[in-house]
Amino acid sequence: MLSLTIHKQLANFALDLALDAPSEKIIVLFGASGAGKSLTLAAIAGFSTPDAGRIAIGARVLFDSARGINLPPHARRIGMVRQDLALFPHLCAADNIAYGLQGTRAAKAKRVRELSALVQLENFGARKPAELSGGQQQRVALARALAIEPALLLLDEPFSALDLQTRITLRRELKALQRRLKTSILFVTHDLGEAALLADEMAVLDNGRILQFATPHEILRAPRTARVAQIVGVKNILPATIVDAQTLRVGEMNLRAETAPFAPGARVQMCVRPERVLLVRPDAVGARVNLIQGELVHEESDGNTIMLRFRADGARLQPTREFDLCIDMPLYVYERLNLARERRWRVSLKPNAIHLVAE
Amino acid sequence: MNANESLPRSDVRFNAGRTLFLVFAGLLVIFLTLPLIALALRALPLGLDAWMSQTTLAALQLSLATATISTLVALAIGTPVAYLLARKEFVGKKLVDTLIDLPMVLPPAVAGIALLMAYGRRGLLGPTLSGLGIELPFTTAAVIFAETFVAAPFYVRSAKAGFGAVDRKLEQMSALLGVSDLKTFFRITVPLAAPSLVSGLLMTWARALGEFGATIMFAGNFPGRTQTMPLAIYSGLESNLDSALALALILVVVSFGILFAVRAVSPKGLTLA
Repeated sequence: MLSLTIHKQLANFALDLALDAPSEKIIVLFGASGAGKSLTLAAIAGFSTPDAGRIAIGARVLFDSARGINLPPHARRIGMVRQDLALFPHLCAADNIAYGLQGTRAAKAKRVRELSALVQLENFGARKPAELSGGQQQRVALARALAIEPALLLLDEPFSALDLQTRITLRRELKALQRRLKTSILFVTHDLGEAALLADEMAVLDNGRILQFATPHEILRAPRTARVAQIVGVKNILPATIVDAQTLRVGEMNLRAETAPFAPGARVQMCVRPERVLLVRPDAVGARVNLIQGELVHEESDGNTIMLRFRADGARLQPTREFDLCIDMPLYVYERLNLARERRWRVSLKPNAIHLVAE
Repeated sequence: MNANESLPRSDVRFNAGRTLFLVFAGLLVIFLTLPLIALALRALPLGLDAWMSQTTLAALQLSLATATISTLVALAIGTPVAYLLARKEFVGKKLVDTLIDLPMVLPPAVAGIALLMAYGRRGLLGPTLSGLGIELPFTTAAVIFAETFVAAPFYVRSAKAGFGAVDRKLEQMSALLGVSDLKTFFRITVPLAAPSLVSGLLMTWARALGEFGATIMFAGNFPGRTQTMPLAIYSGLESNLDSALALALILVVVSFGILFAVRAVSPKGLTLA
């Protein structure tokens, strides 16, 4: 159990964070830059002393302002891999890995071999960090951090400096490694995909506070507040009013939706993920709910996904804006549907794609 | 046609400028090396007795010993200061920094008289030292005091730059790996700052070896006891020119060798000053 309560006031930023996370899991701390991720890690590592709070891993208390406990970094048994790795440039890979080890030369050498095998880094031991590729440096840093058998492994955006392919490989390996070793990991990232891929549970950090702590699936499906929804990529966040248990008033339209637990008359925000807005062919058969007629008014693509804007013809969801809904879809679907030419569509908002949060 | 003519003309002008440039550069090189060449021309043909005279050998031995000890003292007391100046913020840091640099620009004669005022028989600490049975001025220890006073700043300054260039994150990482601050200093900070530390020590040693003004004022000029090589050269001008020439050439060669070594170890370029 990782138990954190950290209060730290800086000149123009306040960290005010509470988190109880299970051990032997990958816990992702997710947030934009400036959310307080690095400061949180610095506090756990002991580089920054909180004004008040408590940091404990299981029964081991690293910091407790009430009891005057503040272990120095070298006594905390915390492993860390930073984005910039901070490998020791004057030591070869093997000596970097062995740096925190104790014991005889032979025992260390044996352990370095084990660790190298663990992170799939072999026959590079004699090279200096500068002579290794980015991915190899990453493995050295990971092996070095694992060498001390840390009570907690902090990974601070460790993959963001790497190319996409290496990043994908290393994420997969990290997850497999964690499953084998049962190391408790606190992984910091601003990449939602990375967070969702790695996290057993993730904490959404914003402006120094944790807004939600749950499984990635839960957070993506049911963000607790509009701010969380915004942070995790819900592009359609529209003000709405509850009409009855099955009906929602959004702009000039009524939509079918499960409105519990909100009472009729309550003002809420309707959240719909952009990839869950369905385009419906004009000739499609079968009953559809929440059908809206309109046209595509804008598009942009990152080469992978295409982001469309849809504007309703008659009654509008967002009467004051140029468009009503954002729709994301893979580029190949866009091409398959011939959306470049065919701009007039109906969209369907399925009730289970609609998530409501308090205003 | 015109283009063809104008090209050589500007070339000529350029050549004239370059020639002038080279002449001035050459003048400077000659100005700097001529005295050394003259010295070498006089000293090299000297017989063995000039190189091996009692005075020469005694001065050489004393110089090597005192310069080495001074450098070690600078290493011992200068390293913590350099690290603090590089890493910590404290009240009066700028003042300390300036004070430590001061002996580098102070005329050595001022250093000598200041040392006398501090440790001389009628100096600030003189009575206290006398009470303890310690007479500092005009001893070999005084030579070491004078040399350390004048030369230690060279080490502190270089070491400070070296420590400052070591990424603090590496020290933090070492701590997280369970290594105490002191061990981190020796396993990470010192190895990474080593080029600066070594070049600082070399500069300090060279400066101590050449120390004259402060030494002659505070330690006097007693052969075998306080007469280092520069002092022996000074005395030799009147009594034994051959011996002075030999010592002078030795100092030139040693100094040249040191500067060369500093350049070899220094990280990208050189901070001599």
